[in-house]
Amino acid sequence: MTKSLPVWWRRRIPRYRLISARCKDCGKIHYPPRTSCPYCGSSNLEEVQLPRRGILESYSVIYSVPGDNRLNAPIIVGLVNINGVRVIAELTDVLPGELSTGIEVEAVVRKISETSDTGIITYGVKFRPVLGADSGAGQDTGEA
Amino acid sequence: MNDSMVKVYITGTGAVKIARHYPLGVRDLAFQAGKQALAESGSDNVDFVIVASSLSYLQAPQLDLASYIASSLGLHGVRALTIEAGESSGLAALETAVSLIKSEEASRILLIGVDKMTEHPSGPTYAMLQTLYDTESDAYYNIGHASIAALLMRLYMEKYEVDRLTLAYWPAMMHMHAKNNPHAMLPFAVAPEKVMTAMPIAEPITLLDAYPLGDGAAAIVLENGDELEGRPLAEIESVVSATGMPSPALRDDPLDLESLRTALGRLGGLEKIDVIELHDSFSIYGLLELETLGLAEKGESAKLVAEGYFSAEGEGPLVNPSGGLKARGHPIGATDVYKLVEVSRILAGTWQGVKRGGEETGMIVSINAAGSSARIALLRKVSG
Repeated sequence: MTKSLPVWWRRRIPRYRLISARCKDCGKIHYPPRTSCPYCGSSNLEEVQLPRRGILESYSVIYSVPGDNRLNAPIIVGLVNINGVRVIAELTDVLPGELSTGIEVEAVVRKISETSDTGIITYGVKFRPVLGADSGAGQDTGEA
Repeated sequence: MNDSMVKVYITGTGAVKIARHYPLGVRDLAFQAGKQALAESGSDNVDFVIVASSLSYLQAPQLDLASYIASSLGLHGVRALTIEAGESSGLAALETAVSLIKSEEASRILLIGVDKMTEHPSGPTYAMLQTLYDTESDAYYNIGHASIAALLMRLYMEKYEVDRLTLAYWPAMMHMHAKNNPHAMLPFAVAPEKVMTAMPIAEPITLLDAYPLGDGAAAIVLENGDELEGRPLAEIESVVSATGMPSPALRDDPLDLESLRTALGRLGGLEKIDVIELHDSFSIYGLLELETLGLAEKGESAKLVAEGYFSAEGEGPLVNPSGGLKARGHPIGATDVYKLVEVSRILAGTWQGVKRGGEETGMIVSINAAGSSARIALLRKVSG
């Protein structure tokens, strides 16, 4: 939707690296980082790298895909709980029928969108079901 | 809350049937609804025009919209103001209008809600609707207009062990009610089984769970009770609002509509309400609102809906006699103004749609997105 490069660019680091913000006043962690703590309003925040693995609490398979990304339908969106910090993000490398709540998912970096008129391609964290621990695929750090 | 003793009345109502109005633009729709409301109020004399509009900024960009609409209505030299608060724009405009009248800055206001949703194909429109949600967090992704509601719906189903069919009774009730609403976009009955098995748009949400994309405009005339020119249809008793977390991911319980809970607290208690128009862009929001307002226990609202508790024959308050956002339609910034028109007509006894008769108190609720903000308006029948 957004056709402005600076809008995407200034948010890229937390989007590539799953960097959250911890409030030094109330102690709560939120992702992605905001200018001030959404819980207590303090701007006394510090960056915290979130673990790459979390639990899938809910998901939706979207067929009414917005904008230029319609060719990628269906897109799957998930609500992921990482040690109590919730992240809403797309899921990837999985078919709709393979999903269920409660499974472990891990973060990887993938293309999010491509805008036809400006050519802007955006990237960010998506989650996929955790592959076998020895498969090697899980070694991809997701920390571009 | 404003302590002013000034009473605010609705004296005129107008509404265009919600549809894909390809021949009509934003100003044409606003003109039709505005003229109807002015005609019912008995006079074109207003000192303020307030326009609630949201998606039109993206669909058919026009800045300073209210001034252009005022001119198209032939209202030269009035004061005009556009209000945008996403899906809650209409009640935000009402909140502003009531405060202008109570503070005696204005005495007669034309409030128009208008939006177009069909100036572009559905794909770009879904991308525009996505911006109702937080573009710096959830809407960074391709979430569309429905997936956040879908995430909450699945959470609700699993947390409270409510099956998919039970959740299909909300859209079924909305369609039943919309059959008698003269300005509804989808005035036909739909069986719950059909809702459940319809084409998925954002699983577990199907096409028949979702609001339609339609264009519309509705309008009311608001007047200071001490200087009434028109016949009062209903009194605006109060309007309250509150902001909430920008994303449900930030709530301790993602199913907690804390903005609505905060707004409700500002009302300072709730007397018996006869008729309620809730915000059901998706059924899950309507159900969570019922539970937040204390009209159902947590996890119980869907079952009560399926049992008919909130229908015209039910024992609870009558909910969404209009057919709701689901079946009346949801032209984003205009929707709350439709609700104001509908509830005013019910309280005034001029409503042609579903009613029980004798309604004396009405409530209108709206939220934006998953609750970034919430508003409640209370309306009362005019005695005598």
